[in-house]
Amino acid sequence: MTDAIETCELSRSFASGPALDRLSITVEEGEVLALLGPNGAGKTTTVRLLNGILTPDHGSARVLGYDVTTQGDDVRRRTGVLTENAGLDDRLTTRENLVFTARVRGFSADAATKRVNDLLERFGMADRADDLTQGFSTGQRKRVALARALLHDPEVLFLDEPTSGLDPAGTRDVIELINSLSSEGRTIVLATHFLGEAGRLADRMAVLHRGHLRAFGRPGDLAAEIWQGIGARIDIGAPADAVTLAVLGAVPGVTEAEAAPDGARFRVANREVLPRVVDAVVSHGVPVYEVASSTPNLEDVYFAIEARILAEHGGAEVTDGFLRESSAPVPAEVAR
Amino acid sequence: MTSTLSPPDVEPARRPPRDWSAIGLVMRKDLTAVRRSKAIMLPMILVPLVLLVAIPFGLGLFARSAATTQVSSALSSPMVHALVGPILALPEHEQLLVLVLGYLLSPLLLVIPLMVSAVLAADAFAGEKERRTLDGLLYLPISDRDLFLAKVLGAFVPALAITWLGAVIYAAISNGVGWPVMHRIFVPFSQWTLVMVWIAPAVALLALGLLVIVSSRARTTQEANQLGGAVILPLIFLAAGQASALLLAPLFAIFLVGVLVWAIALGLLVINGRRFTRDRLATSS
Repeated sequence: MTDAIETCELSRSFASGPALDRLSITVEEGEVLALLGPNGAGKTTTVRLLNGILTPDHGSARVLGYDVTTQGDDVRRRTGVLTENAGLDDRLTTRENLVFTARVRGFSADAATKRVNDLLERFGMADRADDLTQGFSTGQRKRVALARALLHDPEVLFLDEPTSGLDPAGTRDVIELINSLSSEGRTIVLATHFLGEAGRLADRMAVLHRGHLRAFGRPGDLAAEIWQGIGARIDIGAPADAVTLAVLGAVPGVTEAEAAPDGARFRVANREVLPRVVDAVVSHGVPVYEVASSTPNLEDVYFAIEARILAEHGGAEVTDGFLRESSAPVPAEVAR
Repeated sequence: MTSTLSPPDVEPARRPPRDWSAIGLVMRKDLTAVRRSKAIMLPMILVPLVLLVAIPFGLGLFARSAATTQVSSALSSPMVHALVGPILALPEHEQLLVLVLGYLLSPLLLVIPLMVSAVLAADAFAGEKERRTLDGLLYLPISDRDLFLAKVLGAFVPALAITWLGAVIYAAISNGVGWPVMHRIFVPFSQWTLVMVWIAPAVALLALGLLVIVSSRARTTQEANQLGGAVILPLIFLAAGQASALLLAPLFAIFLVGVLVWAIALGLLVINGRRFTRDRLATSS
C-alpha cells in the first residue's frame, strides 16, 4: 500500500499555546482515518496544516507526495475539504457558489455547469440551485458544501465535523454518503468528536488531546493493547449476586467479572472459556438465557483512552466538558 | 510495509505564473456579491449622485445667474492672485462658474475613489471574515499572491470605474449647466484631466491599502468601516481641501504630487501583499 498522507513531527503553536505537537502519522490510500478528540484537540489545525493553509512551526507533511508547505496549491488541487462551517457566500446562489469553485479549479464554463448540476442532483439540492444560500438549513448547507468539496473528484477528502448541526436523518444521509465515497477508494480524513459516525466509517483512528497524539491505529489493535482477552456478557434475568460472581470468577480463564442489570459482564482469555462459564453457572442452579462475547468498538477504545488521559490529569475536567469523569471502570492496564 | 507516493517533479523555488483566470473569477464573484448587498450599493450610488450630480447642478445654476462682480475683488489679494490667474484671466461673467464648477467642486471627485475603494476593500477583506466565507477561498488552489491581487483589483477597478464615470457625468453636467454663460466646454481642462487620470487612481489605491491594514485587525465589515473612517476621513478632507489648489498648480507639480501618492499607495500595497498569507488569514478569522 502507498501512503496518501504522511506527517513527521508536524507541530504548530498559536499565541494560546501549542495546537499540534509532533504529530507523526500515515494514512494509506483508500483508507478512512478518524481524527478524534474533544474541541481544541488539534483536529482542525491538522486539517489546515495538511492542506497548506497553516505553516508548521516544526516538522513536515506530504499529501499525495506533495510537500504541504512548499506545494500547497498542488495539494489543494487534489484534496477536497468540507469545513465545519460550510463557508458558502450567502449573497450567491447555490449554483453560483459551486460554479465559482469549479471554475477556479480549472473547469470550463460548460463543464462546470454540467458537473454542478450532476452533484446538485446527487445531493438532492437541484431544486434549490438558483436560490441564494441565505436561509438554508444546516443540513442543506452541509450538502452544498459537500458537493463543493467533491466538484473536482478529489483523491483525498478531509471532512471536518461533517455531521455537526445535522438532524438524525441528515446525519444518516451524510454517513451513507461518506460510506459510498469510501467504497470508491477515496482516502478520507474524518475529523470529528461524534464517535458513532467515526466508529461506522473509520479503518483507523488517531486520538488527539491538546495537540498530542494519544493513540493511533485500528480500533481492534488498540483494544488489544488496552484490554487482555475478550469481553463477554451473560444474561441470567437479573443482576448476578455475589455467589454467582464468585462461581464465574472461579472458572479457569475468566479474568474479571462484575454485575450487570441482566446478569454479569466478564472477561475471558479466549472463546473456548465461554461454554465452561455456561456449564458452571447452570450447574450452580442459575438459568442462562444468553451468553455473548463483545468486541470493543471505536467508542469503547476512545473512552478507555480518555479515561487514561483523565487519570493522568488526576480525574479533573481537562477540556470544555467533553472529557468528563467516567463512571465506567478503568482497566488496570489503561489507568497506568 | 508502506511507501509514500513518490513526489512529483516540481521546482518549488520557481514562482508560478499569475493565474489571471482565477483572479478574474474571484473578482467577478466578489462583485456579484457586492451588487446584491444594499448596505454597500446604496452609499456607492448615493454619495456620487449627491457629490457629482446634485451639488454641481444646484450650485452651477446659482453661479450661472449670480452677480459676479465681487469675484475678482475676492480673489485679488496678492497671495491668492498669483494662484488664481487662470480664473481672473477669464471674462468676468464666466469667473464664478469656472471657480465653482471647475475648481471648488470638482475636487469632490477625489472623494469617490477614496470612499468606493474603502467600502469595497472592507467588504472584501473584513467581510469575508464576518461572513465566515474565508475557508471556501483558502482551500482553493490559488496562490496567496493571486488571491491578494484579486481582492485588491476587485476593489480598485470598480472604484476607478465609478470615479471616471462620475468625472464624465460631472463634466457633462458642468458644461450643460454652464453652457448658457460659457458657450464652450470648460471642463475638463488639463490640470483637471491630470488629477483624474493620475491622482485619482493613486488615491483609490491609497485608501485601499489603508483599509486592508484596518481590515486585518477588524472582525466585521462595520468595524473595518468605522476604523477605516477614522483613517480615511482626514484623507477625504485633505483631498477635498487641497485639490482646489492642486487644480491651479502647474502640470509638473500635479504630476509630482501624484508620484508621492502613488509611492505611498504602492508601498502599502507591497507591505500588505507580504502580510497577506493563508496562515495569517486562517489564524485571524
